[in-house]
Amino acid sequence: MIDVQELTKQYAGRTAVNNISFHVEPGEIVGFLGPNGAGKSTTMRILSGYMPATSGRVMVAGFDVFHHSIQVRQAVGYMPENAPLYTDMRVKEYLKFRAELKGLSGTTMRRRIGEVMELTGVTDMRKRLIGNLSKGYRQRVALADALVHKPKLLILDEPTNGLDPVQIRHVRDLLRNLKAKHTVLLSTHILHEVEQTCDRVIMINEGRIRANDTPANLTRQLRSTTLLHLEIEGPGNLAEKFSAINAVRKATEEDVLVHPWRRFTLRVEPDHDVRDQVMELALKEKWRIREIHRQLPTLEDVFVELSMNAGTPTDIPTHVL
Amino acid sequence: MRIFWILLKKELHSFFVSPVAYVVLALVMVLNGFAFRAALSVLENAPSEGSIVSWTFHAMWFWLSYFFIFPLLTMRLFAEEKKMGTLETLFTAPVRAWQVVGSKYLASVIVYCVLWLPSLINFKFAHWISAGQVELPSGAMRGAYLILVVMGMFNLAVGCFASSLTSNQIVAAIISFTVSLMHFLLGIFIMVVGRKISDTIVDVVNYFAATEHIRIFTAGLIDSRPIIYYLSMSLLFLSFTHHVVEFRRWRP
Repeated sequence: MIDVQELTKQYAGRTAVNNISFHVEPGEIVGFLGPNGAGKSTTMRILSGYMPATSGRVMVAGFDVFHHSIQVRQAVGYMPENAPLYTDMRVKEYLKFRAELKGLSGTTMRRRIGEVMELTGVTDMRKRLIGNLSKGYRQRVALADALVHKPKLLILDEPTNGLDPVQIRHVRDLLRNLKAKHTVLLSTHILHEVEQTCDRVIMINEGRIRANDTPANLTRQLRSTTLLHLEIEGPGNLAEKFSAINAVRKATEEDVLVHPWRRFTLRVEPDHDVRDQVMELALKEKWRIREIHRQLPTLEDVFVELSMNAGTPTDIPTHVL
Repeated sequence: MRIFWILLKKELHSFFVSPVAYVVLALVMVLNGFAFRAALSVLENAPSEGSIVSWTFHAMWFWLSYFFIFPLLTMRLFAEEKKMGTLETLFTAPVRAWQVVGSKYLASVIVYCVLWLPSLINFKFAHWISAGQVELPSGAMRGAYLILVVMGMFNLAVGCFASSLTSNQIVAAIISFTVSLMHFLLGIFIMVVGRKISDTIVDVVNYFAATEHIRIFTAGLIDSRPIIYYLSMSLLFLSFTHHVVEFRRWRP
């Protein structure tokens, strides 16, 4: 559906996107993840035919975005960042205008406008002026606009930006339901959203692709260690004994609990689970345990790691936090 | 062509839903009322060769409205969409640049033509109430409205171009105001220094001067040269606008 080859985009003196290549298959939901200014919006604008690439080839739905711009725009439903809309129009009126521009007419158009308003939950707002709507509703109107002509490919630039948690969940469900009929490329910096919705994540930072994989694989390959939180009662220097276990890099005691309970954080090698060993040790030494909690690295950790210049594993002292 | 009509409808809608069209209409009606009154008092005082039409469009009040109409009508066309970011939504729909430029321009021309309808009523009313004593020579009427329309088309094209250059409406308004003013000042320049300079320069400048065009057309003399001049200049500025808008898609 999308085929990007060696795409580069330079603004006066600054490279926003630096030689990236990726591929999106029909029916996929792909998340575009990266910090602000990473080049997400620029890439999406190029994909939607709004601006040209400095070099490289971009094919969308089988058309070159530069030479067959109109066909590409017909096949794409694009929702720009911050959902710019005509504030002097009413919701339904605006959707009608957009649907007409995209080639719909007559009863098909009216039915489709009804459908997308229902899907995005703006039916009750159809007679309101867009200028008087809250940010969340504007976002939804923009989404309805992107959907109205049943595009093969949806490109959504931060679709959940500015929504409340309930609305975010609503949009997430909506995207999952769209999967059958549309390919979706969405950008966000909310990691949770990507973990929940996307089949694949493309992480981008400083104009380069840092990772391109499923959310699960990304977290698995993460270099950062797994954390194990313990609440335990026992005498002496327990940290030393924990450190003796293989695969435990470091054990730290945190003095936050009421005597006699003590709290420890163990940093464990990736892909190792030492909970059994800890239990055996505790039984052997007759310590009492009231909590063992294993904290897996999240996409958030991957994100932080990649944002902090790829290569250097982050070692954030979580016990300090 | 279908897309063009949809866009035109939307542009006209935003003119008439927002207060812009009404505010400009009110302003033009007031200034026109003064211009009309000034013309009546000229005719009242002494017999005159000029008709009421020609006196109305020579009044200072008319020129005052002339300066304000174009910036007010055109400043928001592109600048507002740029500022709001809606240009991005617009150009990611399957529309072509000429459709957008053409529809915005035509909408402003239509609103501009509507602005002059009340002055037509003034003339007809004066003619009717004076039982035909206030004459409305058909040549002067046709000439006046013809030159008003083509002159407007030129200035609106300039305004359209100015608006496409910036995302700041004030800047767009000032550019278009300045061009209209310069066009007017050409005639004033000749009036002031005309005797001291060579006739060729006077002729050449008069060829561009808006005041001169108004003078000959409101006298009922329909000259094809200014018409061609204004129409070709409109086309030129519209193509500039088109290039500015389309440049976004080509900038490397």
